[in-house]
Amino acid sequence: MTDVHAQPGRRPTHPRGDVPAVEVTDLRRRYGDFEAVRGISFEVRPGEVFALLGVNGAGKTSALEVLEGLARPDGGTVRILGADPLRQHAAVRPHLGVLLQSSGLPGDLTVAETVTTWARTLTRSRPVEEALAQVGMGDRADVRVRSLSGGERRRLDLALALLGRPRVLVLDEPTTGLDPESRRTVWSLVREMVRGGTAVVLTTHHLEEAEELADRIAILRAGRIELEGTPEEITGTQPATVRFTLGPAAPPLPALPGVRLVEPAPRVELHTRDLQPVLTALLGWAAAEDVALGGLQARSASLEQAFLAVADGDPTTHPTRLETGSTR
Amino acid sequence: MTTATTTAPPATGPSRTRRTLALAGAETRLFLRNRTAVVNSVLLPLLLVAAVPALGVGGGEVAVGPRLLVSAIGVMLVFLTYYNLLTTFVARRQELVLQRMRTGELTGTEVVLGIAAPTLLVTVGQVALVGIGVAVLGEWSAPVDVVLPLVALVGGAALMLLLAAASTAFTRTSESAQITALPFLVVSSSLCGVFFPLSVLPDVLATAARMLPLTPVVELAQLGLAGTTWDGQGVGWAGAWTEALVPLAVLAAWLGIGASLARRWFRWAPRR
Repeated sequence: MTDVHAQPGRRPTHPRGDVPAVEVTDLRRRYGDFEAVRGISFEVRPGEVFALLGVNGAGKTSALEVLEGLARPDGGTVRILGADPLRQHAAVRPHLGVLLQSSGLPGDLTVAETVTTWARTLTRSRPVEEALAQVGMGDRADVRVRSLSGGERRRLDLALALLGRPRVLVLDEPTTGLDPESRRTVWSLVREMVRGGTAVVLTTHHLEEAEELADRIAILRAGRIELEGTPEEITGTQPATVRFTLGPAAPPLPALPGVRLVEPAPRVELHTRDLQPVLTALLGWAAAEDVALGGLQARSASLEQAFLAVADGDPTTHPTRLETGSTR
Repeated sequence: MTTATTTAPPATGPSRTRRTLALAGAETRLFLRNRTAVVNSVLLPLLLVAAVPALGVGGGEVAVGPRLLVSAIGVMLVFLTYYNLLTTFVARRQELVLQRMRTGELTGTEVVLGIAAPTLLVTVGQVALVGIGVAVLGEWSAPVDVVLPLVALVGGAALMLLLAAASTAFTRTSESAQITALPFLVVSSSLCGVFFPLSVLPDVLATAARMLPLTPVVELAQLGLAGTTWDGQGVGWAGAWTEALVPLAVLAAWLGIGASLARRWFRWAPRR
């Protein structure tokens, strides 16, 4: 399902010349001889969600660590609100919210004590009750962190990340291990932050999450951005699929321009980048020849299909970087 | 007020001290919830004091209180302060708490100080308990100087903090601290002048021992509390300060080395 076009209100428009909240230029990270991040660049504007996708080991977390100010880049630069997150710690941190992929909190403090402690270190903290209510943990305030479920811990983590009203939010796999309901809570929180103008960079393994939240997606493979664009542009790099079955007496298929026949009759599968005209021609042919197209299915490519094609490095769909009008 | 510029709005956050105190408060609460640790921290200095009448070493011409306090400072700094700080840092790192704390407005130094706060407080409390204990036993005599022992305690505790932070580089888990901390514990405590006077060693060895991190701390405490030099000479106030110059310099040098090692070696994240 790739019907992500029809959400006009979702994407806030920003006047040209709006300064990006996150600027990553030719970022590189190396561990010994291994180069985990090999020169990636992207920008995220206020009120925009940017998703980094990639299989494990693609370099997502290594890249985020530099944005989070936890690691020094081996090349390139990262600017958060115009400042270096590591060297200009004091300027960046009051505006930066971070959710690490895995992180710990002392088990013997209660939820409320944990949030209160964190709040005392922040410049513009939300009230503790508000922060807990936000993540649906209001009734868990007096529970020790040790006794929380995995999902509750993750929501507490998120409450801490949002506590300082950040203008830039970095979320490394925010919903991994969450049940579907908690996941939706997280999504609506992220959307709320975005409506308030927060720029969000997230990684995820859930492609539906990227489709749901992201204004732009970059697919990372072996430390490089192989494909970048809106969800529609990303899915547009892959052909649409048409499937149907033909009876034994059916005449041979007509020549359909721009169509690749993946499976021949009787269980036909066609790939095309022009779904609508091909479908029109196919249906016209079927009507004229009085052929039944059994179990007819036609669908645009899914993000998953595009992701798998790029993540596997499929040479037939060689990736191109899509320049989107909104980025530059 | 609506500011939509990318330059930071001029909001002043909590000061460095307030941020550190916030974390130190939480860490102290955690310490107080660990009953075993609290009981041990109080029992140990009391046992040390109880050893005086039990072993029959008190009641002599010269009060044993000052000597006992000097030994307590030396032994507690390495075996309790250094060791506990090292295991705490490593445990917090394994729990991924250190990295978490570092994602906020706290700086690295503030995180380290906040986490170290309970251990440092306990050190001071334990030394005070030993002091009060020997005074109650009547084994106390007026110190030659009070500044030198305070410098020894504060400087010594700071040095243990720095060395513990540096030791996280080669200590993988809090259990492995039992092994990685051992060389430092054994060498520095045995050669600090608490268990035998360094003057019994050949000159070269004695001089080398005086350069170890813990020795200047013991020397300074001993000069101030007992008016005794490292080789057993009795001195007055002026003599104590003259004799203090070398250990003060050695301690300052170690603080410098410790700070640079801690900065370079402290590891925030577990090895992957």
